[in-house]
Amino acid sequence: MLVELRGIGKVWPIARTGEEVVALESFSLDVAPGEFLILLGPSGCGKSTLLQILAGLEQPSRGEIRFPERAGAQKLTSMVFQEYALFPWRTVTENVVFGPEVRGIPRAERAATAQRLIDLVKLRSFETRYPHELSGGMRQRVALARALANDPAILLFDEPLAALDAQTRRVLQDELTRIWAETGKTFIYVTHSLQEAVLLGTRIVLMTARPGRIKQVIDVALERPRRFSRRPDAALLEQLDDLLREEVERAMSESS
Amino acid sequence: MSASFLRKTGSALFILVAWQVLVQTGNVNELFLPAPLSVLKALGAMTVSGRLPWAVLASLNRLVQGFVYGALVGVALGLLAGAIRWIEDVLDPWIAAVYPIPKSALFPLFLLWFGLGDTSKIVTIAVGVLFLVLVNTITGVKAINPLLLKAAVDLGATRPQVFVKVILPGALPNIFTGLRLGMGMALILVFITEIEATKAGLGFLLWESFQLMETKDVFAGVVTFGILGVATTWLLQWIEYRACPWARR
Repeated sequence: MLVELRGIGKVWPIARTGEEVVALESFSLDVAPGEFLILLGPSGCGKSTLLQILAGLEQPSRGEIRFPERAGAQKLTSMVFQEYALFPWRTVTENVVFGPEVRGIPRAERAATAQRLIDLVKLRSFETRYPHELSGGMRQRVALARALANDPAILLFDEPLAALDAQTRRVLQDELTRIWAETGKTFIYVTHSLQEAVLLGTRIVLMTARPGRIKQVIDVALERPRRFSRRPDAALLEQLDDLLREEVERAMSESS
Repeated sequence: MSASFLRKTGSALFILVAWQVLVQTGNVNELFLPAPLSVLKALGAMTVSGRLPWAVLASLNRLVQGFVYGALVGVALGLLAGAIRWIEDVLDPWIAAVYPIPKSALFPLFLLWFGLGDTSKIVTIAVGVLFLVLVNTITGVKAINPLLLKAAVDLGATRPQVFVKVILPGALPNIFTGLRLGMGMALILVFITEIEATKAGLGFLLWESFQLMETKDVFAGVVTFGILGVATTWLLQWIEYRACPWARR
């Protein structure tokens, strides 16, 4: 296994009221190499919290996270954020090389990595542009290339396409599938769109409303390339729709 | 040449010519309002005699030293205070107490402590610049999107690397705002600190001319201050243009 999550729990204190919010509860999961794992659930179910824990940016309050194949302190993950989080003062190339740069990789090697990844995400001839000179879709391609530059075993995606328009999103969904297949990396992908989940994933982890627990794990055996127009996915979509609606309704009735 | 440019030059020329004509034909005493050509002549004479260049040099020395020291300390403290909570807590009461004081009011104290020489003047200018740069730098650091810090850490940056590669460039546009405001403050303080306790500098020249009722020379000093202000503003704009290529519009 690439990642083993054992009974992960996360509690956020709310300073103002002194209360505690349980974001995640006894979350256990194994992630195998090469998966395109989807974390699907209503908003506030702790999907993003789980990603932050996987990234090492947050510590779990309970439970244990293991990377059995990790050698030493080398980080296995890189994150792609919904709001891109590109450095506005760096050009496309300079953003892509940030990881290798801070890890002290020699300049020539960095440049070669950047060129290869810029080609992979199809941004050639935009190397010297600044983020504000790019469209949302192009920015997310830069963010993807930047995350790949550290050659992580696992890429973490926090609703990466949610801020894009429908057409751009559709194109990038196919691009992500292509890059996943070409690089052989493990993708862990948070979304609240069940169409996207069925289109992209090899496995869907459906989460409950707060506190976030696993409601159901569903393997997606559909053939690729996947298209919205073919209908073998209809039954799956329907099943997911029912499950997700249960959770959303439960979350709404609890918060009202 | 654009219509806008013509209107601007036209406006400037019209006022200058009208002013000249008014003083020459009208009943205006040049003691109160010297004509533009008389001021120009005075500028020329003061330049040839070396009085003006010498005064500018003395003032520039204080201006540049005060500005650079104030800016360096302001940026360094601002970055630290913006990024590290306890440093902000330590600085906060001092900023709150000293920021609203007109820095010219501190000049007598600095005269007392540092004597009549250049040091007291440079310190006054530096303190004036420091607080403007400090406050703007802190604002700049706080305005950085926290997601950028997260992304940098996620990509493997250490704390010092986050400081140099994210916090510093992220705050740079606000730092330049502070520097521009600081330069304006420095020019004001150069003049004020040169009125008293000195025999050199543009402020001294201007004030002495006033006391001798050499109004032409007062005007020449005012014009020179103006040129100094424009020159320093351009210099800062040029540095900002080179330093923040992503913010060019």
